[in-house]
Amino acid sequence: MPASSPPAERGGFDWLLAAAVLAVAATFIRAIYFTPVEALQGAAQKIFYIHAPSAFIGLYVAFGIVAVAGGLYLWLRDERLDRVAASAAEVGVVFMTVVLITGPMWGKPIWGAWWTWDARLTLTLFLWCVFVGYLILRGAIDDPAVRARYSAVLGLLGALLVPFIHLSVYLFRTLHPMPIVLKPSRPSLPPSMLTTFLMACLAFVLLFAALVRVRYRLAVAEDALADEELSESPAMSLRPESAH
Amino acid sequence: MPDNAIYYHAAYIAAGVVYGGYIVSLLIRRRRARDRTRRRDR
Repeated sequence: MPASSPPAERGGFDWLLAAAVLAVAATFIRAIYFTPVEALQGAAQKIFYIHAPSAFIGLYVAFGIVAVAGGLYLWLRDERLDRVAASAAEVGVVFMTVVLITGPMWGKPIWGAWWTWDARLTLTLFLWCVFVGYLILRGAIDDPAVRARYSAVLGLLGALLVPFIHLSVYLFRTLHPMPIVLKPSRPSLPPSMLTTFLMACLAFVLLFAALVRVRYRLAVAEDALADEELSESPAMSLRPESAH
Repeated sequence: MPDNAIYYHAAYIAAGVVYGGYIVSLLIRRRRARDRTRRRDR
């Protein structure tokens, strides 16, 4: 038994994850029961409180971390950076899956269509496909150094799409609404709705941090197991000691 | 005001299923890793 156990071995309750789940549940309750219904769009507008924060965190935070950690990995070759990038990418794909499910549920009652192939929606779907490909790539390569290098490059290239997605509503004619919070002028939301939105952003940031933390610890444990299995395999035992 | 509450109910349920499902999958994977580590150490 090693002196310090891998994080996945540590049992017990994950307080950060529990706090994040409670914060998201509180946000759902506030959005459903204590936030006014928008006069023109009706109750479907409340989808905004999960769609927009999930998009904000998936696009800017998660894929931003993938790009920064991937770039730093290519420079420093520190496997912890690769684990951070992989963890943020997986959690980011989950957040963007929610974005791509909840967006059409708002579009159907407001636009009259589940989906339209405009720039914002198409680029977001393409970005989601790129990062699903990133996860598939990681699963397909056994060599940890090659896997980390290839996925760092793919993560960096994928994240280059993020500024285009943000600006797509200005650059192209699109059905997607313009930003109402992330814009140079004041947010175009009444105070009660803005409070719910900011609460949702905080709750989802907390959820993102908790999920990346759990995923990172899992990656540490899985890497330790893979290293030990590799060192115990017959092919490795035939290697001379100087091979390291 | 349009009556479209069913869409937002469905969206909240879908988001809960996706996030909840991912949390459960992480906890299952963590337990499997822990079990493998324990078996290896025996």
